[in-house]
Amino acid sequence: MSLFEASWVIARRDFVASVFSKTFILFLLAPMILLGFAFFFSWMNDAQDATASQGRIAVVADGATAEALALARERLVRGTSEQSVPALHNVAPAEHVEVQARALLADENAGYSAVLSGTLDRPVLTGPTRADGYVARRLQLLVDDARRAEALRGANAAPAPVALERVVTEQAAGNLQMNRRAMAKAGQALVFTITMLLATLLLSTLVEEKTNKVIEVLAAAVPLDAVFLGKLIAMLGISLVGLALWGGSVALAYTFLQILQDWMALPTVSPAIGWAAWIVLLLLYFTMNFMLLGALFLGIGAQASNIREIQTISMPVTLLQLMVFLLAVSAVGQGSSPLAVTAYVVPFSSPMAMIAYGAQQEALWPHLLALVWQGLWVALIIRISSRLFRRTVLKSSASGSFFSLRFWRSQGAA
Amino acid sequence: MQGHLAIEASGLVKSFDGKRAVDGIDLAVPEGSIYGILGPNGAGKTTTLRMLLGIIEPDAGRRVLLGRERPLEAARIVGYLPEERGLYPAMTTREAIAFMGALRGLPLEVGRKRAAILLEQNGLADYVDKPIKSLSKGMAQTIQLFGTIVHQPKLVVLDEPFSGLDAINQGRLEHLIRDEAAAGTTVIFSTHVIHHAERLCERVAIIAAGRIRFEGLVSEARDRLRPQVRLKARNADGSWRASLPAGARHAGDLWQFELPKGGIEPLLKALIDGGAGIEELSIERPGLHDAFVAIAGESAAREMEASEQADFGEAA
Repeated sequence: MSLFEASWVIARRDFVASVFSKTFILFLLAPMILLGFAFFFSWMNDAQDATASQGRIAVVADGATAEALALARERLVRGTSEQSVPALHNVAPAEHVEVQARALLADENAGYSAVLSGTLDRPVLTGPTRADGYVARRLQLLVDDARRAEALRGANAAPAPVALERVVTEQAAGNLQMNRRAMAKAGQALVFTITMLLATLLLSTLVEEKTNKVIEVLAAAVPLDAVFLGKLIAMLGISLVGLALWGGSVALAYTFLQILQDWMALPTVSPAIGWAAWIVLLLLYFTMNFMLLGALFLGIGAQASNIREIQTISMPVTLLQLMVFLLAVSAVGQGSSPLAVTAYVVPFSSPMAMIAYGAQQEALWPHLLALVWQGLWVALIIRISSRLFRRTVLKSSASGSFFSLRFWRSQGAA
Repeated sequence: MQGHLAIEASGLVKSFDGKRAVDGIDLAVPEGSIYGILGPNGAGKTTTLRMLLGIIEPDAGRRVLLGRERPLEAARIVGYLPEERGLYPAMTTREAIAFMGALRGLPLEVGRKRAAILLEQNGLADYVDKPIKSLSKGMAQTIQLFGTIVHQPKLVVLDEPFSGLDAINQGRLEHLIRDEAAAGTTVIFSTHVIHHAERLCERVAIIAAGRIRFEGLVSEARDRLRPQVRLKARNADGSWRASLPAGARHAGDLWQFELPKGGIEPLLKALIDGGAGIEELSIERPGLHDAFVAIAGESAAREMEASEQADFGEAA
């Protein structure tokens, strides 16, 4: 049997065993539950009082001042958003405004974060807000706008608002680069997140065979390289099934649910190499990223003799993934700087860095080179992992685990 | 030795943690034979089989399996039952057997059909779609054995196949091994239970402490010892005692000694003339157990017996 035929037998068994198990439903539901929570909290956030983030400001001023401030707020909200400008609440001035302001700030039911008093010419802000703070700066903007409007009205020179005439172009160089960088990072984040979700699965893949003692049956029948490759292919298949289902669900929700359309705008900018090529490359690089990290994790996990050891090595493995991700992200927008080239060449960061490259650069040939390079590393890691597995685990000896002290003592003695 | 060899190994060496587990083993297993590797636990039997199959690489030496120097190249025509039995618990018996066949290149559909036939032939038709986890240990072992032969291999390698089986399943396994050999398959198995090897094998290798102490026909191993004479005499003393060979042992009312090189007739005459009063006299050909003791030594034999006892306890 060829390596690929043997890998296929292993992959088919693993794929069927995983996809037709009850736990696979949980695996599929996990991101859905995550998304569900995200939507729920997003909705909750929207439903909350818009003033919560900005605070409520009590305006203790005469009617004309209060009205001028309210009109200024209206104008600013029109140009920005309701959440961008603090909410104003008019309170009739008492005899001693300073005392009134302190009383208002102490009133827990009213919930004011600051009090604006005085006139437009001499405004006073009372409260625990810093002079250069967010609320103070916005209130300053309000007062300035109100004063300007009053002055223009007094001089009878208030110009009528004009509408902008819009000339729509395809793209502008400035935001094209910005959007493509954002797209590059989004692609990287997607691949990173999915691979990270699957890391523990990959680490523990061979534990089943070792626990059930099937590994010797496999090792006697097919090359260990085929066992490793088959397991990787199965896991890749499982993740692609997951991706297809999750992606399909999101697409359906986008099509039929208004809430998702409001929450997620489709990008108007296309990647440098075009949508079709970029999506194909995204899939290919996801595959390579999965195979590279998967081969490494499978190799590391194969050395562990039980779940406890798997748990112990999970954290350094996650940190490794994070470092690789950060290297790839830091290369976005760096062109061919040494940092970017490092990210393209280091095999583990290469797929994610090249996703970003595809979003930003038009050239296609570097992708072919990168895919071949990454493929070579997958083969190399599988080969090293299987050799190490054969040397340390498949032997008639108790000191089989790479992580056992006895193993390292014996290596030292040898 | 005549005919082709299914397995030929010379100078196999393997060390673990600086300790030599197998120390220069030579084997020659003729095609179509039933071959036993005898030795106590820890003698190096499993390591030898693993090296023969390419599961682990020898530190030194050479092995040829069905004409191939790289054992995995012969994987399609080899079946292997490891000492540590292993099956996927959630698989059904039919799928488990078919999967093991698929690992050896047998199409899954063919494997499933053959699995059903094997189960039916052995009175296990009701278990075709039962998951492995619902079977007893002995039954699961039987399923794994079917998986070992489902692709109709030319060579079957069984590591301690009788271990953990009750008497009925041991008998069934012996029957199956004979059937395989009758169909022209070479069967090699390791065991620490001498009587299995004695009943089944034409040739054996006796291993102790990683070395081959004997390799050849079972009859050759027995012939290394002279036939044993057992004598019961009516008269305890008398001149007949002088005619007994030098190594004669007295236990109870029996005398036991090797048959003299001159044959039984001169001895018989001396015993009668010396007034022994012969009540019983028998000449017995030594068994493989006696040969094992003589070849591997008393301590190896005691280890074998201890392993056998442990095994018996496990099966019970």
